Amino acid sequence: MRLADRVGAALLLAFGAGYAATAARSYTYWGVHGPGAGFFPFWLGVALVVLAALFLVSAVHRSEPGPAWLPDGHGAVRLGVVVGASALFVALVPVLGMTLATALFLVGLLRFLEGHAWPVALGVAVATAAANWAIFTWWLGVPFPIGVLGF
Amino acid sequence: MDVFANLALGFSIALTPFNIFMAMVGVVLGTLIGALPGIGPVSGVALLLPLTFGMPPTSGIIMLAALYAGTMYGGTITSVLINTPGESASVVTCIDGYQMALQGRAGAALGIAALGSFAAGTVGVVLLMLMSPLLARWALSFGPPETFALMLLGLTTVTGLTGEHALKGYISMVLGLMLSMVGFDIISGDARYTGGIAEMLDGVDFLPVAIGLFGMGEVLAGAEEPGTGQILNARYGLRDVWPTATDWARSRWAIVRGTVLGFVVGVLPGAGPTIASFLAYTVERKVSRHPEEFGHGAIEGVAGPESANNAASAGAMVPMLTLGIPGSATTAVMLGGLMMWGLRPGPLLFEKNPDFVWGLIASQYVANAMLLILNIAFIPLFVRALRLPYSILMPLIIVFCITGSYSQSNKLWDVGQMLVFGVLGYGMKKLGYSPAALTLALVLGPLAERALRQSLIISESGVLILFQRPISAVLTTLALLAVAVPVVRAARGPWRSIRA
Repeated sequence: MRLADRVGAALLLAFGAGYAATAARSYTYWGVHGPGAGFFPFWLGVALVVLAALFLVSAVHRSEPGPAWLPDGHGAVRLGVVVGASALFVALVPVLGMTLATALFLVGLLRFLEGHAWPVALGVAVATAAANWAIFTWWLGVPFPIGVLGF
Repeated sequence: MDVFANLALGFSIALTPFNIFMAMVGVVLGTLIGALPGIGPVSGVALLLPLTFGMPPTSGIIMLAALYAGTMYGGTITSVLINTPGESASVVTCIDGYQMALQGRAGAALGIAALGSFAAGTVGVVLLMLMSPLLARWALSFGPPETFALMLLGLTTVTGLTGEHALKGYISMVLGLMLSMVGFDIISGDARYTGGIAEMLDGVDFLPVAIGLFGMGEVLAGAEEPGTGQILNARYGLRDVWPTATDWARSRWAIVRGTVLGFVVGVLPGAGPTIASFLAYTVERKVSRHPEEFGHGAIEGVAGPESANNAASAGAMVPMLTLGIPGSATTAVMLGGLMMWGLRPGPLLFEKNPDFVWGLIASQYVANAMLLILNIAFIPLFVRALRLPYSILMPLIIVFCITGSYSQSNKLWDVGQMLVFGVLGYGMKKLGYSPAALTLALVLGPLAERALRQSLIISESGVLILFQRPISAVLTTLALLAVAVPVVRAARGPWRSIRA
């Protein structure tokens, strides 16, 4: 975690400086009536620079590496699969519609990541997609995206 | 009496069939969410917020507040039976609750927790009812400098108490404030930090951020490894659950102490139910005549903290309703909900929306009564729900995160934001930053900026106006101390090692 802290502190420092610079350059710091749109953001940027600098100093001088924070091989794969599947789900919604995309996402994760039997995976997927439709579309009137198949 | 007339109004609202139904939905879901590990009160409230948009705000807050109270009850079940806290306010219950369960006294542990929670929750609502109008009346005299100072204090104390690492907490807070600047400036109308993207003109939406950080982020943290957990078998007949005379004698005062302590801690900005439960446990061990039993199944170690967390969840409502400053991460998300329903939290809420405030207060009595019955008579049902494996629950929560963030304004853009903040929330959690501080800052940012700019406009001595008025001087000083003390301590560590 020590390396992550050092890199993080340096990035935050740069971000704070950029944020304050944008505020000072692009927005009014002090207008005719008092503080303008750039006033508060400028000081937020300065605050982040100060905090990140303190953080950087303490991270650089820390001798022990601290606990590991990134998951190991197996955990990292699971994490990647879950994030990737969620992103794919969102990308598929405009094409397949919310209901079908939901069912596919659940079958995929339950069957292939968690290793549940087909009946369990299909049952949970169909029941959830139906319940989701009932709550949001039927009860709350949220217009879910409709896919090429018409639902 | 003012209070009684208002309470009568409150009950006339809370006891309509639809609102009773919403309270019921809230307590059942809350107990479940509290009991299931990996999802707690903050994620519960964030995930259910989208469901409330279609209903009147009063019904929405009744459901969310009932859910919040329910999670405090439900978390106990998991702590006692699996030795894994269902939510963070029940962490300390694992110590003695699980030991009691190993000794075959799981029923007694759950029973005393439910009774203590009921007593504490009810007294908490009485105190909430008596205290809030007074506080609101006092706060009506606040001008922009006092408002800004109060927000500063709320932000700094929440931040100081929720993160493991003080500097990372304040960094998270400043990042939240920075995010809240995105979009149109309310005073000048200038667009800020939009990067030329049209969707950014409306700013960073609260709901996708809250669902991402607390729903998706928690799920990702749990997704790394397949979950396990052995559920202890126990008997939950009324006779097993109802405390014996000895249990009662030992727990009575623990419940009283937990209630008082919990409420006070809950009202203070920043310190919510979790801190209250830890303090209560410490107090019980200190005052006990047999401290050696703690850690080996002392019933006071369950009764005290479980009462404290319920009293604190009621106490946390006080600053949220009267001052617009949330006392805990969960009330911060509720506050975001209030704003989305179009209400302005703060002292005027009591004058302008009495039906909302008093309906909520009255419904809390109803919810506590429902929870007592639920948690004495229906424990086996919730235990059965715990057998739902995390491997099925996890994908379901993701589906709920996605549909929930979509449903606010029917835009996939919001879902994308939610996913980004989900990954960010995972990283923040892993690296010790504070998602709660970021969320609170995102909610309070625009209000704090406006209060500060108004203060500077009326001021003749610049920023010193914050120190020229007595109330704002005290609040600002406290806020500055809240930042300075931990930051100096954190930053001084390395200097000392250089000199040595």
